Amino acid sequence: MMGAEFKKYFITLAVLTVVLALVPFALGFNQYYILLAATSLIFAVFVVAWNIIGGYAGQLDLAPIAYVGIGGIVAAQLLKYYGITPWVGMFIGAGASMLLAAAIGYPTFRFGIKEVWYALLTASLVVILNNIAHLPQFLGSLDHYLPAKTGWYYLIFTDYQNLYYVILAVLVATIAINLKISNSKTGYYLRAIREDELAAEALGIDVRKYKLKALMTYAGIMGFTGYLYIVLQGTYSYHTFDSPTSLTIAIMGIIGGLGSVAGAFTSAIFLKTVEEYLRSTIGAMIPGLYLLIYGILLIVVGIFKPEGIAALFNWVKKKIGFDRRGA
Amino acid sequence: MPDAILQVRNVVKRFGGIIAVNNISFDVREGEIMGLIGPNGAGKTTLFNCITGIYTPEEGKVYFMGEDITGLPPHKIALKGIARTWQKTRPFKKMTVLEAVTVGALLRTSNVDKAMRKAEEVLKFIGFPEEKINALGKDITLMDHKMVDLARAIATEPKLLLLDEVAAGLRPHEMDRLAEVLRKINSEKGITMIVVEHVMRFVMGLSERIVVMHEGQKIAEGRPEEIANNPKVIEAYLGTKPV
Repeated sequence: MMGAEFKKYFITLAVLTVVLALVPFALGFNQYYILLAATSLIFAVFVVAWNIIGGYAGQLDLAPIAYVGIGGIVAAQLLKYYGITPWVGMFIGAGASMLLAAAIGYPTFRFGIKEVWYALLTASLVVILNNIAHLPQFLGSLDHYLPAKTGWYYLIFTDYQNLYYVILAVLVATIAINLKISNSKTGYYLRAIREDELAAEALGIDVRKYKLKALMTYAGIMGFTGYLYIVLQGTYSYHTFDSPTSLTIAIMGIIGGLGSVAGAFTSAIFLKTVEEYLRSTIGAMIPGLYLLIYGILLIVVGIFKPEGIAALFNWVKKKIGFDRRGA
Repeated sequence: MPDAILQVRNVVKRFGGIIAVNNISFDVREGEIMGLIGPNGAGKTTLFNCITGIYTPEEGKVYFMGEDITGLPPHKIALKGIARTWQKTRPFKKMTVLEAVTVGALLRTSNVDKAMRKAEEVLKFIGFPEEKINALGKDITLMDHKMVDLARAIATEPKLLLLDEVAAGLRPHEMDRLAEVLRKINSEKGITMIVVEHVMRFVMGLSERIVVMHEGQKIAEGRPEEIANNPKVIEAYLGTKPV
């Protein structure tokens, strides 16, 4: 039974990879469009990774950009000052983000901080890091640039399609990690924690341990991808710790449907594309329009479909008789 | 006493000025079904929470199979072999029945396939309707929830099962079915049970031995017929006889 399930996932993932790999061709290698596509794709990585803590474990984490920023800046600084390739630096960045996650998560979960308090705490983490990074001892108030070099060693290219493919590889790995967690003991335990912490604990689940595991996995992926985010942005500074971006990732995850990989992926790609489209068309007239749209979508989802975009998939599955859940 | 699976010794739990559990001691013998009764607010659920690690008692000790488990966190106590159900069911609403029971079974294995087969087996054992095992938690009835709660607990392979008012809210024929299932779990799986109950008929028919609590204290202990005729118990439930 599980074997068939895995086969289905594998085929879906393979088809998705091929389709996404063809996107630069479909866009006629127009650099601007590929940059936009790569931006959508990197947000898909963020939202799918966020699904581990927000969707499976049910913790409303509003600090994704904190982990992206720490990981990315560590890798960027290592390259800039020590000439360490991001192939190594990204792993060190991931490690730095995981350390931060452990430092935040251990006391937070130890003292049972959850729901709105957890959301507030993580939201303030982004602001705190923004202020710390602003100090002259750290990044100061200047924008920092990556070395003016190109090639696979630096993961900086003259064209965007190479970067697009690197991000695609990270996305595929992130989806695979998600599916693996979802079908493992950890996935079952995280969902049980999301549903009812006390009942989960009485069934022998070490709630603190599993929450921390989810938080560190998510932070690790965020930190790993951080460097690619900085390459896309072109520069890094204290501005990298941007609260609206952080909230956007969580909002995309909620609109996608908590705990659904397909929902998270679709939501990120769709919303980010719409956002960039609006920015490029009427963005000059009505800046920040996309935030209004997110707000409206969030309300609509909250009222009509709390299960988010994932509910649409389930509905379609049921219609074509694919749903094995019955009920 | 070598055949006591659980020993509760002088347990005290206070909330502010209120003494919810006041110096309670009793033994649970291996293999028995013990009833724990008392009027509302007698401290039965608080005592359960002290045994399962949700509260740490201020005084006293709890020994499970000779080992001091006082103050251990709930998940460690579950691992040692004490499972429980809840007075107000705590369902996993967005998981299917099978998935919820699988969570319980995962305590003794890390293999999801094995745990799922185990969960199917447990659901079948307690007679859960097969057509409903893929239903989501939010779509089933109260009786189903009670059964899932029970299945989830049994799937952790406990030696001792604490049942907190399982019969509450059920119709008489559902109660009879539940009592039958509990007897089957006790005799075939050899699981010792403590049954906290309000419904006297249910607990009298099920238990070999009953402990009665009133205002945090143990006021009686004995066989069901002894308890039913104990003047202290009658007084606690019905008040003093008017002179």
